Amino acid sequence: MTTSADVDQAAFVRALLEPELPPPNELETPGGFPPERRFAVYRNNVCVGLVDALAERFPICAQLVGDEFFRAMAQCYVRERLPRTPMLFEYGDAFPAFVSEFEPARELPYLPDVARLEYAVGAAYHAADAAPLPLDFLRAFPHERLDSATAVLHPSTHVVASAYPIVSIWRRHMSDDEMTPVELDHGEEALVVRPELAIKVAALPVGGSAFVDALRNGRTFGEAMNAATAVAADFKLIDCLRELLLTGAFVALSVAH
Amino acid sequence: MSDKKLCAAFAIAGAFATAVALAETAKAANDQEKCFGVSLKGKNDCAAGPGTSCAGTSKTNYQGDAWKYVPKGTCTSIVTPKGKGSLEPISH
Repeated sequence: MTTSADVDQAAFVRALLEPELPPPNELETPGGFPPERRFAVYRNNVCVGLVDALAERFPICAQLVGDEFFRAMAQCYVRERLPRTPMLFEYGDAFPAFVSEFEPARELPYLPDVARLEYAVGAAYHAADAAPLPLDFLRAFPHERLDSATAVLHPSTHVVASAYPIVSIWRRHMSDDEMTPVELDHGEEALVVRPELAIKVAALPVGGSAFVDALRNGRTFGEAMNAATAVAADFKLIDCLRELLLTGAFVALSVAH
Repeated sequence: MSDKKLCAAFAIAGAFATAVALAETAKAANDQEKCFGVSLKGKNDCAAGPGTSCAGTSKTNYQGDAWKYVPKGTCTSIVTPKGKGSLEPISH
């Protein structure tokens, strides 16, 4: 199948997305095969390929709704939003927002946030690498100056705050143990880091994502603490720091002079 | 520095020291290793195979190029229907 150079790209994309439309006019097919059928095969391959990419990107969402439902939903997304860059790992950035507007998925109110978490996991996987600070170094760091210190976080660090227990849901589906129900009565804030090329997902105490966001924006530990207590007055700093240390989120600390 | 600020600085210093100690204990108690060929389909912590985006994407049970974290020292004694776990990717 060849296309002449002057094919109108916008018309081509329209024909790609809408099966009712005839194939682009300038289409030439060898051997006299009907261009409609040739183009239909191509249209189908594009769609299936992108749906497959979404299924690989959001495997827990697919488990939650079942393959059939997921593929139908993903197909609607593909129709609405083709990739905008040639890099497939960026595809699906708007999928969580799409899921939150997708009427048939309303029954699972946590689904968009699980999708956000899964997108963060994928983004962390493809982020730049960096060496986490060893615990020995952190133990020797002058803690009394931490209040005015800033941190460089691992480039893969992501946080996703949800009104639903997304970390518990994610973990439950990743574990080999028998599936047991997750209580939906509380929210969770997920921390995603990929030190040493392995993804780690942890639950931060409430306010933790505000704390991490502040640090990432170059705020001091003192300022980050204020940002977190603005969200939760009883912010559990020790738990938050513990998860950040265990996931290897700190790459550098610097003290103001 | 005001008293209030000084208190906050102390609180952060104390919390950090405690958190480092907790992290050290947890790390020591929870030392894990990557184990290939033991995870069930879709339950891998990461898949090294081409084209996979990572966690939860393995296609078959006990896939040899997909790994899962297990407690350190236990990997090679895990027996699956396809053979033992391995610290290196396996082809079966």
